[in-house]
Amino acid sequence: MRQQKLGYLALPLLMAAAFTTQARADGETIAVFTKNQTNPYFQTVRVGADVAAKAMNAKTLHYIPTKPDSIPEQLSQIEDVVVKKPSSIVFIPVDYKAMVPGVEKINDAKIPVVNITDRSAGGKFVSFIGADDYSLGLETARHLLKTLGGKGNIVIIEGVKGSLTNVDRIRGFNDAIKENPGAKLLASQPGNYQRLQALQVMENLMQSNSQIDGVLAANDAMAVGAIEALDGANRKAQVIGINGTKEAIDAIKSGKLLASGDYNGFAQGCLGTMMAIRSLRDQPIINEIVLKPTVITKDNYKPFDVPLEQRNCPTFEEAGKLGGK
Amino acid sequence: MTDITKETIAPPRSFLSQDAIQLFYRLLAAFLICAVLAVLSDSFLSLGNILNVLRQASLTFFIASGLTLVVLTAGLDLSVGANVALSACLAGTVIHQTGSPVLGIFTALIVGGIVGLLNGIMVTALRIPSFIATYGMLWVLNGLTYWYMAGDTIHGFPAGFRQIGSGYLFGLPIPVYLLVVFLAIGTLFAQRTIWGQEIYAIGANPVAARLSGIPVARRLLLVYSVSGTMAGLASIIFLSRLNSAEADIGESLTLPAIAAVLIGGTSLFGGVGTVFGTFVGALILTLVLNGMNLLSVSANWQPLVTGIIVILAVWLDMKTRRRAQ
Repeated sequence: MRQQKLGYLALPLLMAAAFTTQARADGETIAVFTKNQTNPYFQTVRVGADVAAKAMNAKTLHYIPTKPDSIPEQLSQIEDVVVKKPSSIVFIPVDYKAMVPGVEKINDAKIPVVNITDRSAGGKFVSFIGADDYSLGLETARHLLKTLGGKGNIVIIEGVKGSLTNVDRIRGFNDAIKENPGAKLLASQPGNYQRLQALQVMENLMQSNSQIDGVLAANDAMAVGAIEALDGANRKAQVIGINGTKEAIDAIKSGKLLASGDYNGFAQGCLGTMMAIRSLRDQPIINEIVLKPTVITKDNYKPFDVPLEQRNCPTFEEAGKLGGK
Repeated sequence: MTDITKETIAPPRSFLSQDAIQLFYRLLAAFLICAVLAVLSDSFLSLGNILNVLRQASLTFFIASGLTLVVLTAGLDLSVGANVALSACLAGTVIHQTGSPVLGIFTALIVGGIVGLLNGIMVTALRIPSFIATYGMLWVLNGLTYWYMAGDTIHGFPAGFRQIGSGYLFGLPIPVYLLVVFLAIGTLFAQRTIWGQEIYAIGANPVAARLSGIPVARRLLLVYSVSGTMAGLASIIFLSRLNSAEADIGESLTLPAIAAVLIGGTSLFGGVGTVFGTFVGALILTLVLNGMNLLSVSANWQPLVTGIIVILAVWLDMKTRRRAQ
């Protein structure tokens, strides 16, 4: 796939073709809004949405800001969509507060909309599908401490300070550490969800701490960065990440990464799209599902080690058991 | 035109020039930071930590060294980080597909260099201000990289290749050797060659430079190409150190590189500054982050402290410069 793309790069004219949107089909058209093209998480959401739509004989149209997480860009994409009138919308706000006026525009246009991943601070939604960052942090950190026998020296590598995901994940990490009196938190330092920064932070922390037993990283890229730093210094520690990216699964397989918390992006894309279509077809829906986190380890990684396109969406009956309210 | 000698174009830059005095202040600042950190943290002055700081500073320096030449001509290259990202992703693909790190390295240098050359063409032939031209290039590169990677990461490179960024030779990290080599080349080029002197002359007064027979356009093409090629080199160090490439690595690299150039005493108005100063600038930035990690400064305060250091450094620079005149 990527090799083929490499060929395209020499022919910028072909690019125009690559950017044109998919043709409309007979089934419903679901407009799927995600935050950016850089975070693999949103790719899993998009593939989940595509798989669900295909299974239900509907079509998806993807709206992604070219500048990651751009508020004005998502707003103008909403304006475009309101004109184009898709059957329904599956929506992740780039900012849960700032995008409320955008949601209201969709509401005014009477297009049904399902909210996934980040809960919008306002607006009317058919359904909400999300995960819980706090329990994701809590459960992954509990797994680490269980592996360490409830004790040891821990460091936390934080994501972007002040971002919603980070605040909740770090709170979960800290609560899990507090449950274990034998565990000691040595440092909690920022890696801004960036691999390089996490690597450098880890290198620096290893200078001032001769014994580090566990590393809690707020995402997989930082976890893998921390592992590179540990390897470079010939030191060992148990590392956990969050997101369940392909890279993390590979690292779990090879024993370098202890575990990763799955945010269930694929299931969120699936279920959001499923609810959007079901509500159009006047079938029963679930108004709110907060998915329970899955801690992916060496024992249960197999279902995650499958290309996204080949994974199966949960059925509506299963969805209710996944955390429906 | 050929009878115009080097002396009439610009005065030779002796080592006791104003630049040397500025450099002295910068080294003093770096030394003071070191002294404070050595008092506050036992681990700061360990050999391991010093090598650590040098290796971390080297990546910023590689990007910032080429950028210094651009800023010396009163230009700016905002595309360096995005260039690193594209170069890293393409080089990573080539290494994966061919198994040849050498081909990968060539790819990165050529892609980086071509991007730089295109920047140079926009600035010279199309007469677009460099700030705008390279800002536009930033978007073009981001767009290409995001599209090409589609939210994916490329990871896992041959052990031999990993040595470039992570390996040691006679107890010193290999990037530190590269740092010394490129610091020497950059300094000799800027201070001791006619081309280097012409670059200073263009920055000091482009009209006078043109009237003195300096081929301004060709020298500008050269500096932008060098800046791009150094971004390509940085992408190789990045790849081999992090063992992975993703589309959004550039965003966190551009501003620190610009900050290193400015903290290092190179004037945004052109004609004043040194490559060695940029090295000291990169060192100061790295020392501050390293120190905050060692001292476990809260993640909340770290960006604030970094920002104050940047403002303080540039303010002190302008103050001492005014006094010197």
